[in-house]
Amino acid sequence: MITPKENKSLLEREPRFDDSYCSMQAIPKIPKSQLKETRILVSYARRFNDEVIRPLALKTDLKSFQDPEYLPWDLIQKVNEWGFYTLFIPKIFGGQGWAFTSLNYVIEELASACVGIANVVFVHYLGFVTMLGSWNISVINKVCREVKEGERTGNPCLISLAITEPGAGTDVEEVELVDRGRVTCFAEKVKGGYIVNGNKIFISMGHVSTWHALVAYTDLKKPSENTLMLAVKNGMKGFSFGKHEDKMGQRACPASELIFQDCFVPDENVLVDSRTVPPSQLRETGELVNQIIHYVVEASRPAVGAFGTGVARGAYEQALKFAGETAVDGKLLINHEWAQIMLAEMYKNVIAGRLAYCEANFSNSLKGGIFSFLQIKPVYYYMKYVPQAVIDIFIVPFYKTKLFNWFMRQVFVEGQSLEAQKRCSGWASIAKFMGTDMGMKNSQMAIEMMGQAGLRHEQGCEKILRDSKLLQIYEGTNQLNRLNLFNCLIARCIPQARVFEEE
Amino acid sequence: MLTTVKCELKSFEDLARSFAAKELAANREENDRYPFGPFFDSVVTKAHEVGLLSATLPEECGGIGQDVGALCIILDHISAVDASLSGIIFTNALSQEIMLAAGNKDLLAGIMGKAADAKAALIACPSFANPSETGTTLTAVKVKDNYIINGAIEYVVLGGISGHALVPARIKGQEGYSFFLIDPADKGLNRSEPVFSLGLHSCPAVDLNMAGVVGTLIGQEGEGARYFDHAADRMHSAVAAMQCGIMKGSFNEALDYSQQRFQGGKEIINWSGLRMLLGQMAVQVKIAEMVLSEAAMAVENQEPQWNLYSRAASVHLSELACKLTTDGIQCLGGNGYMKDYGQEKRFRDAKHVQAFLGLAPMRKLGMIKSIVNG
Ligand SMILES: Cc1cc2nc3c(=O)[nH]c(=O)nc-3n(C[C@H](O)[C@H](O)[C@H](O)COP(=O)(O)OP(=O)(O)OC[C@H]3O[C@@H](n4cnc5c(N)ncnc54)[C@H](O)[C@@H]3O)c2cc1C
Repeated sequence: MITPKENKSLLEREPRFDDSYCSMQAIPKIPKSQLKETRILVSYARRFNDEVIRPLALKTDLKSFQDPEYLPWDLIQKVNEWGFYTLFIPKIFGGQGWAFTSLNYVIEELASACVGIANVVFVHYLGFVTMLGSWNISVINKVCREVKEGERTGNPCLISLAITEPGAGTDVEEVELVDRGRVTCFAEKVKGGYIVNGNKIFISMGHVSTWHALVAYTDLKKPSENTLMLAVKNGMKGFSFGKHEDKMGQRACPASELIFQDCFVPDENVLVDSRTVPPSQLRETGELVNQIIHYVVEASRPAVGAFGTGVARGAYEQALKFAGETAVDGKLLINHEWAQIMLAEMYKNVIAGRLAYCEANFSNSLKGGIFSFLQIKPVYYYMKYVPQAVIDIFIVPFYKTKLFNWFMRQVFVEGQSLEAQKRCSGWASIAKFMGTDMGMKNSQMAIEMMGQAGLRHEQGCEKILRDSKLLQIYEGTNQLNRLNLFNCLIARCIPQARVFEEE
Repeated sequence: MLTTVKCELKSFEDLARSFAAKELAANREENDRYPFGPFFDSVVTKAHEVGLLSATLPEECGGIGQDVGALCIILDHISAVDASLSGIIFTNALSQEIMLAAGNKDLLAGIMGKAADAKAALIACPSFANPSETGTTLTAVKVKDNYIINGAIEYVVLGGISGHALVPARIKGQEGYSFFLIDPADKGLNRSEPVFSLGLHSCPAVDLNMAGVVGTLIGQEGEGARYFDHAADRMHSAVAAMQCGIMKGSFNEALDYSQQRFQGGKEIINWSGLRMLLGQMAVQVKIAEMVLSEAAMAVENQEPQWNLYSRAASVHLSELACKLTTDGIQCLGGNGYMKDYGQEKRFRDAKHVQAFLGLAPMRKLGMIKSIVNG
């Protein structure tokens, strides 16, 4: 019917088949027992919602208004006891090694009960993924082993990500913008390490984390080619916490200022230094930095989409419950046809958000995606069934070897084609702004439906609205994510298209 | 806009604008901490002194005797800075309007005459509920000249601070409901702590529990819905005014910020993506001004279908305000989400104000009912 050559060329037309049907391509290759894992994790998440999140969500929020300096230690302790902080850390780093691909489904569950507390759980993985993006196995291993130890001893050890600065938010999310931005976090090379000066702001869970994946620059004039990622630990001289932000919502999860004044960070804590990364066949230095950032956002933005989907679901569930219990104009709201249509619309919004993050997840499972290596069946089953002790004896000693790091780079850095990067990053952005826009829509609709009752704190619905708004801002504003989608998957259709070059 | 249609309102505009700038702007964040911080007593006292709490009250009742246009101007300019005070002005005016619709001028004159301070002059009411929609669980029984009220009622706005409260109750054995004026200090009355809510933090509401509370009937038995509908129809334009003010406040803050904030090597206003967002907001603000002005004039001039104009204005501007204020936050990025800027408060307040006078979707259905029934 059609020759292979013709087939290829027709499918490469926009919308490109390979970029459009991620799930269809990914699912046949996914190890079967991953579905089982996801089912177990989702039910575990539901139990956690029943036993921990729902009883505490409103109380915690209220507490944070009574005491704006409140930090969620009590919650963190609980999350730690439930094992969430090591759940998705691979066994090769001492974690429980549950499939990372299940993360977003768990996120949706938790966020449907309280997205603020869900962030208390998952910001840690943003920090972890950022470290992972450096593929510096020995540092990642050191930090993760401490997380594990923190779980064992009951002294939680969490990781945060510190990139945003007072003068640069959007700019530090985009390599194409950062050279024009007003970045100030400067790292000067000295013997045995770096001296860091500058402030980071809005760092989620900053005050309560032990490790911080810090992005600093060795030359403020050309940050794109002089980017440094450091693993900074609490107690390092010259590192302190500043302001704890007074936010509209997600008040369970603090946003912190991190202050660096002549803070010495030893060489062994360098996760990646863009000036010393080995040359790549595919990418210039700036593009390598871009790749690291994109690796992080390829994982984190679909996760934020899942947060948004969870919020949309939480709002829908509140409205549904209310409609089933409340009489308006002499009959239950649920039996007004207009309310049924409104609830159906809200249900659809949840599905739309979910489909988008699922598809982004599957894009990450395809070749060149962050999950692809872990989903190769022998790798997956090896990691799943080989006992921790065996991994510790036969794999861990190799972390510091050049060969091992070379191998990781081959898989993850060189192994990701530019096309795959664009597909994953583009889908990540779609998932992010789709899910979070749905969250905002549904939380607005729920309050409209509930009227006066929806305004009351103890009903929970107004909190969902307050919590929801943040999701459209962090991990790149939704506008930036639209531009990133344009940049990744649309601009290529029109050779004259230029992004961020507007006069 | 409204002042160009009706020039004599200019003095109210000046009054409200300077009041907002002088009394509200500096402490907005602090005042918004209520009930976890102090209540802005002194602001309410001053608002009372300069007449902001009695703009539409007839002069013979001790008010300023203006029509809805003046009230709208005031709410518009106050809301641009802090809509909480607008919530107080609105709720009090709604109570007054219900009483006026019932022909209770004397009672109002008495309350105003005797009021020693601002709080004593305030009349609370459940200004977010349309009792015809959700019903009332309060019941009243006539005992000699008075009525005895029992039951519970939620979310009585100003109920914790006012000298009087207006509540809907069903007289036993009758259809419909009636309004009663009660004394919040009545021994049979139990009130909750202020209900912590989405927005308008310093316009507090309480839940009331009544056991044998004495009530004075407002107007006639069973006529509550008629008074409420008349008052609400007039007050919908006041809802539109609050939303218009909130929108202006949010837009102006976004416009200022985007001219100062640099990203990508230039002021963010010079990225056309952001400029488009601002452009959309500017369109919405101008539409809001036009709609408000037309609606207020339709009410004042009792034009045919004035009540539909008024309701349409509140429905539409509430939707616009809820849209605009999320963009208002968005323009400021992370800062928009923080209490240090007014944007997050405006976002909450717009959604809160949308809930005044009953369920928002029911208002649209109500329009059709009015149109079909004539
Ligand atoms: C509660 C909270 C938690 C956070 N947690 C973290 C964290 O854990 N770690 C971390 O590093 N960061 C964190 N952030 C920071 C977050 O990622 C930034 O706020 C976000 O990237 C936006 O940056 P900004 O706030 O500086 O806004 P700005 O970049 O100043 O943006 C302001 C407005 O301008 C627009 N804009 C900017 N540039 C352009 C352009 N080129 N074209 C068109 N429009 C543009 C934006 O879309 C936005 O509407 C957090 C933020 C918040 C609020």
